[in-house]
Amino acid sequence: MFRSVLTGCLCGVDANIIHAEVDVSTGLPGFSMVGSLSNEVKEARERVQVALKNTDFDLPPNKITINLSPADIRKDGTCFDLPIAVGLLGCFGLFEEERIEGVLFLGELGLNGEIKPVNGVLPIVKAAAKQGIRECIVPKRNLAEGSVIPGIIVRGAEHIRQVLEFLQAEEEEKKGLLVTGECRLEDFLKQAENSCSLDFAEVKGQKMAKRAAEIAAAGFHNLALSGPPSAGKSMIAKRIPGILPKLTIQEALDVSAIYSVAGLLTEEMPIVTERPFQSPHHTISGAALVGGGSKVRPGAISLAHKGVLFLDELTEFPRSILENLRQPIEDKRVNIVRVHGSYVFPTDFMLVCAMNPCKCGFYPDKNKCTCTENELHRYRGKLSGPLIDRIDMYVETQRVDLRSLSKMEKGESTAVIRERVSKARGLQERRFRELPFQFNSQMEVQDIERFCHLEEKEKRLMELAYNSLELSARTYHRVLKVSRTIADLEGEERILERHISEALAYRFMKG
Amino acid sequence: MRKYDYFLDTCPGVGDKRKNTILRAVKDSKEIYDMSEKDLSGLLRPEIVQALLQHREKWKLEEEYNKLEEKGIQLVTLPMEEYPERLRRIPDPPFALYVRGRLPGEEQLSVAVIGARDCSEYGEYVAEALGNCLGEQGISLISGMARGIDGISQMAALKAGGASYGVLGCGVDVCYPKSNRLLYDRLLEKGGIISTYPPGTAPRASLFPPRNRIVSGLCDVLVVVEARQRSGTSITVEMALEQGKDVYAVPGRLTDRLSDGCNRMLKDGAQIFLSPKEFVEELSMRYGNMLTLRKTASDIMIPEGEKLSEQELMVYQALDLYPLPVEKVLEKLQRKKGAQAPEFSQVMIILMGLCVKGLIVQNTSGWFSKTV
Repeated sequence: MFRSVLTGCLCGVDANIIHAEVDVSTGLPGFSMVGSLSNEVKEARERVQVALKNTDFDLPPNKITINLSPADIRKDGTCFDLPIAVGLLGCFGLFEEERIEGVLFLGELGLNGEIKPVNGVLPIVKAAAKQGIRECIVPKRNLAEGSVIPGIIVRGAEHIRQVLEFLQAEEEEKKGLLVTGECRLEDFLKQAENSCSLDFAEVKGQKMAKRAAEIAAAGFHNLALSGPPSAGKSMIAKRIPGILPKLTIQEALDVSAIYSVAGLLTEEMPIVTERPFQSPHHTISGAALVGGGSKVRPGAISLAHKGVLFLDELTEFPRSILENLRQPIEDKRVNIVRVHGSYVFPTDFMLVCAMNPCKCGFYPDKNKCTCTENELHRYRGKLSGPLIDRIDMYVETQRVDLRSLSKMEKGESTAVIRERVSKARGLQERRFRELPFQFNSQMEVQDIERFCHLEEKEKRLMELAYNSLELSARTYHRVLKVSRTIADLEGEERILERHISEALAYRFMKG
Repeated sequence: MRKYDYFLDTCPGVGDKRKNTILRAVKDSKEIYDMSEKDLSGLLRPEIVQALLQHREKWKLEEEYNKLEEKGIQLVTLPMEEYPERLRRIPDPPFALYVRGRLPGEEQLSVAVIGARDCSEYGEYVAEALGNCLGEQGISLISGMARGIDGISQMAALKAGGASYGVLGCGVDVCYPKSNRLLYDRLLEKGGIISTYPPGTAPRASLFPPRNRIVSGLCDVLVVVEARQRSGTSITVEMALEQGKDVYAVPGRLTDRLSDGCNRMLKDGAQIFLSPKEFVEELSMRYGNMLTLRKTASDIMIPEGEKLSEQELMVYQALDLYPLPVEKVLEKLQRKKGAQAPEFSQVMIILMGLCVKGLIVQNTSGWFSKTV
């Protein structure tokens, strides 16, 4: 007897549809599995046999062969237990073959027949929907995550027995046997709209840093905050995801897929609705940062996709780790190559760094700074040049003393700032609608010439600045990009003197 | 003769005091070199005799001295006529001086300018103005060729056509700090490099305080431009007072830690330095025989900004010689002008305009200070 059951496996954040082919024939009793399998997939043999036995179904002594096809794709994970078990039950004639046609199964089995949650349900269901599969049966605890995908029925099961009953039941009896998920994607997103965990209004003072954060968010510019300890660098950075426009449905799905692969989605929060904020410690390994490992998992930069990657104490990160960021920042995705294949993870994040301005942390306040010029140079020298080249804006925060802190009025709230940022983004979208990118920060030199047109007065200012402030060509272009965003924030079509003046203040100074 | 002096000076374990005592007992260093062990023992403590004998065995008298001459290093010792009079008068004068270039002229008034290595913009400015003024007036400027105040004032004096002399805490053939290479070369040309340490001596922290004694010893007047409360500068000042030199200090604000040392000196009775012009005028009164003012002395020029607009002037006045963040500038303006204070973006335009005009500098992103 032969049965083929649909299932899926992950490949990066994408999924492949897999056919679990099960054959039971007479001959010497045995149980063999083929199809480019990793260890945990091979272990399915033991789990499935015992789980079926404990569900009052003893496998007769036959020759059992299982092939996971296509056989040349490497298979990882434990989601093949359920489809294999279903295939076996089908081979022994427990239900009609057409009952499993167009149905995809996912799930790990416990020895008692219970179905346990697995990672990556969302991308697999998404791939299934794309291929026109009509129904998915997934572990109940993954149901919420799976059912955010529209256009496919997703049901959750807790035990192999429930699945068997469901497959045996006639159409009219099926109701109530398995829970069917409802697509509540919009609800989740609406819910997120009202919730806002961290408010910018809590940051008092720091006018310039807050302003810089707003500009950076509007143009998706990478930003560096420098300042003495407890100047509020991390406080500001943590609030940046809040002022980015809310995730669109497509973005939410993309980000959730990454979190699903990493196993970070829960039953309560089956979809990522807020912009991610990743803040890895400086002892992080290269693989944890960009993704990798023997079983390839997304790294912090992918978990920050469409959100903010915050590197606190930038100078403490080993240079070798930071160099890893260069390609992902440019390409907005990272390609991890292993013997079994290559995996692509999206990495479209906004980089926010925080650092002390010098060893003691108080430069340029000469009253407090005790660093010698050499120490200052050495400290700045720790910053990786290529990384600096990818950061458009630098801002120096200053410590607010306690007395003035209590006197200061609250700043603008996150919602107000987000409103302005969204408007500026709207302008950029319209401007770049025919181009492969969306934001001012992504402009290349030829785009800058096209979109950052300067009038006589402004041209003169830039020339003066270029000569008397000794700008490099690179800085010159960076200043123009930032000016463009500042103008966009005001809804100004032309870049004016005031925009350039402000942008100049955010440039990196070697110190 | 000098080769024997060189031999004596390089002998380990024999300090300046000891050398001077020895030379009072014998005619010259040649005599020491030629003495037998027995004669030496009659004169000196056994460990010193041992040190001398060991040194004599290893030391290649001619060869070493030739090396010195090849490098163009002059050895000047206490008994010689060339030995600076000013130094001869201090307690325990050093036995030997190694000189590249020249020694400060005896007839010329000499002023030492010292101060913090990591000085502020204010210190930098005063050092430069003072160096410039001294250079113009033909007054020798003595300093330690260090980063910060020392180097800045020396460079300014040289640029103004004056002579300057650097006293090093290492051998005269070693340029330390390396970043002052240009200054080192120009000092060789238009002044001198002086050290009490034999050539090749590497800079070590312990060698610097003794060199301060020479800085103060070689000058007539000492000016402290900027110093923290506890610093190497205060050692030099103590030495100068011990040697009976006049000490001037540049006053600073109470809130500036880099001026604490100077303000303290003023309280303790140092003379107050108000401007380079006034300073040289005072010098000409006191040292009339050594100094005749050549022309009207240059003085501190603070740009008054006569060409600035009202708003530019307002922002300019809110700034300081010390770096200030934009927020502080805004705060100041608001306190002063209330509702009429310019907006953030307006202030940024003005600040950048001033930067472009060269009246202020951006120290780091968002911090500005006046240039002087």
